[in-house]
Amino acid sequence: MVFSSLLFLFAYLAVTLFLYYLIPNTRYRNWVLFIVSMLFYGWGEPLYILVMLASITEAYAFGFLINKYRESNVKRARLYMVLSLGMNLAALLFFKYCNFFIENLRLLPFLTDAIAPIEGLKLPIGISFYTFQIMSYTIDLYRGQTEVQKNFVAFGTYVTLFPQLIAGPIVRYRDVDDQLMTRKETIDLFGSGTRRFVVGLAKKVIIGDACAAYYEYFKASDAFADSTAGAWMVMIFYTLHIYYDFSGYSDMAIGLGRMIGFRFLENFNYPYISKSITEFWRRWHMSLGTWFKEYVYIPLGGNRVGKLKQYRNIAVVWFLTGFWHGANWNYILWGVYFGLILMAEKTFLLGALKKTPAFVQHIYSLLLIGFGWIIFSYTDAAAGLNCFASLFGIGTSTFCTPTIGYQILHSLPLFVIGAVGATPLPKKIWDKLCTVDWLSVGAIREDGTEEPIYMETKELSLRGKVFAGLTTAGTIAVFVVCVAYLVDSTFSPFLYFIF
Amino acid sequence: MKFNKIIDITTSVLFALIIFAFAIAFVITPDADFSEEENRSLTTFPKFSWEALMDGSFSSRINEYFADQFPARNSLVGIKGVTETMFGKGENNGVLLGKDGQLAVRLFNVYKSRLERVADMDYYAADTVTQSLDALNAWAKNTALPVATILPPRTVDVAASAFSYPTEISDAMQEQIAGYIAPEANYIDLLPLMREKYDSGEYVYLRTDHHWTTYGAYIAYTEVMKSWGLEADILPMETFSVETVENFYGTTWSKAGYKFIAPETLEVWTAGNEDQFTTSCISEKMVKGEDGKPTAVKEAYKTFSGWLDRSFLTQKDKYGAFLSGTHNEQTVFLGDGSTGRERLLIVKDSFAHTMVPFLAQHYDLVIINLAAKVANITDYVEEYGCDRVLVVYNWANLIENNNMAAVK
Repeated sequence: MVFSSLLFLFAYLAVTLFLYYLIPNTRYRNWVLFIVSMLFYGWGEPLYILVMLASITEAYAFGFLINKYRESNVKRARLYMVLSLGMNLAALLFFKYCNFFIENLRLLPFLTDAIAPIEGLKLPIGISFYTFQIMSYTIDLYRGQTEVQKNFVAFGTYVTLFPQLIAGPIVRYRDVDDQLMTRKETIDLFGSGTRRFVVGLAKKVIIGDACAAYYEYFKASDAFADSTAGAWMVMIFYTLHIYYDFSGYSDMAIGLGRMIGFRFLENFNYPYISKSITEFWRRWHMSLGTWFKEYVYIPLGGNRVGKLKQYRNIAVVWFLTGFWHGANWNYILWGVYFGLILMAEKTFLLGALKKTPAFVQHIYSLLLIGFGWIIFSYTDAAAGLNCFASLFGIGTSTFCTPTIGYQILHSLPLFVIGAVGATPLPKKIWDKLCTVDWLSVGAIREDGTEEPIYMETKELSLRGKVFAGLTTAGTIAVFVVCVAYLVDSTFSPFLYFIF
Repeated sequence: MKFNKIIDITTSVLFALIIFAFAIAFVITPDADFSEEENRSLTTFPKFSWEALMDGSFSSRINEYFADQFPARNSLVGIKGVTETMFGKGENNGVLLGKDGQLAVRLFNVYKSRLERVADMDYYAADTVTQSLDALNAWAKNTALPVATILPPRTVDVAASAFSYPTEISDAMQEQIAGYIAPEANYIDLLPLMREKYDSGEYVYLRTDHHWTTYGAYIAYTEVMKSWGLEADILPMETFSVETVENFYGTTWSKAGYKFIAPETLEVWTAGNEDQFTTSCISEKMVKGEDGKPTAVKEAYKTFSGWLDRSFLTQKDKYGAFLSGTHNEQTVFLGDGSTGRERLLIVKDSFAHTMVPFLAQHYDLVIINLAAKVANITDYVEEYGCDRVLVVYNWANLIENNNMAAVK
């Protein structure tokens, strides 16, 4: 199930919230969450619930063993950790990467007939996310950074929790371990969660999906009229689409989490205002970056090793980051691409960049990010290369056609909204309009990254009150508009003239 | 109480209220089977089976069911239409919003080949049009009968002046067709004429529907007669009395979701002698022949007097009144068709429906839907003993399918 669907909002969420708040204490509320989360997950592909349950059970059981030996017999504890991680990774490798390996091995002449891809093997949704979450528990436990979780339902709830289950953020176990048994749901948290959820929904449904439609349009147009301008639009609207889609989803997850008393860490922090790629990766999909840093980069020695090893570490992390995104060469290439840029920035580029004016740094970053998205979005290398060449007018028959021009002109408002919304500017303006007290209300912002501030506030100014009221009205209005978009997307008039 | 708390409570309560209100409304409102606005059947609650649950088809049917039966569906679609206008997109769901409430479908699902269709495109696949015209040309060169071909342009081509949308594609398609079609097909290019009339304020194409008006159809009729050298036979407009049907919202309006657009008027032109005509809708059925082998027999599953099915005029799909909607095979005969009038075979899409009132005054009509599997003109000519053939197939169809390529 996805958040941006009528069924989720008006059946699943309605029932879930009702049941959750019907039940008085956290222990049983976890039961509710565990069960409804599995329904959420199994909707569409019920069998894969078993795969997930197996991973959960395995990590839960090994947790006891690791805990038992982690002080008395470190070697043994490590063995159990490695076993547990191995089993988890085996599931991930099998379901996600198995056919990729087989297909590539078949390129070797003597293996072509020897092996065949496994038929009917579908990727269990969210497996990359929940596997990483489970692994964070196992490793944190081994390192003594968290306590063993004895309550199976609580552990199951941590892994399956529907807000973050299928598209993150990747919540580290130790960031929520205490919330699993003792969280406090408050109306403040629910209110801010609602606002955050609606912001995320609007980002996805109103802006993200529209950008996706433009992206698809310009991409498809290329087959009829290949133009340089069209190729730029492909890149620009994919860049906007993936940000609004993904960060919108994270906002919804964070918002839904708050509605049921959880506080998740942020996942995006205005990535497109970065002045370097190094900075970009500190702002984009932060939970994944943190995971790789914490569980791969630092264990490999991180920065505290020789230069050569540092580069090796960067290479490993970025190869894995790329590969994590999908079992296809373009994702690997995408990871390696960023790995190389990061190495270059580390060596000399960052220093050189700092001497240039800010706008040069922004353009440099946005261009490299955009080129990266072209690699990311084209699983077909030839098509991707063609799009990349088109950006520079190579192989295109024209710069622009009247029809492409028309489309560009009419997508401009969305582009402007999308571009401005990806910066902290709307928030800054909003904050200027309001008093500091206003912040405690939380605002409808494109980014929504601001945590509500719980402070003893003075009486709000009249303007603050007016804006607070407007925010409430706005939240509800935007929600209704989002619902309208969702309904419209299922609205399909049948034009009988076709047949 | 702190003001912030009030705000948080209000937000939370309102949000929960909306969710539960829709959920409850969904449960208590009875399911509808049909949506007039979308002109299609709606998904009802799917039958449960373990198999369907396991392969995911049950859940996807539930998703459809939930979306199709969602409360206030049509009003919500309107809200989206208004919001999109505020974004300055100038269109919604691929429908352009032009001057004076003129709507036009802009994006089409381009047919590139049997395996490849490109959704929501401006451009069209020239190859597909070529293939269609090749088949038409080959057939036309082979027939001895008088032929006329009209390919009605789309609203976006005719009403170009109502939009800032470029005519690049209209021009390309016009040029391609005119340059490629064989003289034997006797092609009548309606675009310049229709455009000129539209620009001078004449009501030739509907505002909210993809079809032309009855007046537009009349113009097409006169052009066809002229091309056959029968200018003298053309019935003047005064022959007909005009009946107006108010509150017509066409399919383009449904697709656009612009609820603020005013309805328009659909005209029905009558000459007063309609009751002398009979329309039959015909299907083919397999029966056991005398020799015991199954043979195909044709039978009329619906007949009515005249060519107008008035039951449609009170529904949303008013255009369906002409010929009672789309049928694969129909005849419109004076009496029982034995009066010895010339027979005209019309190979068509729904643009031809509004031309029927005029052509039926001159000919007994045999009407074949080009979308139907068999587009064997030669066989139909033989079967019905037709004397003339008229092909009517609009540009949108040429772009979105290659049915015409099966013509022979």
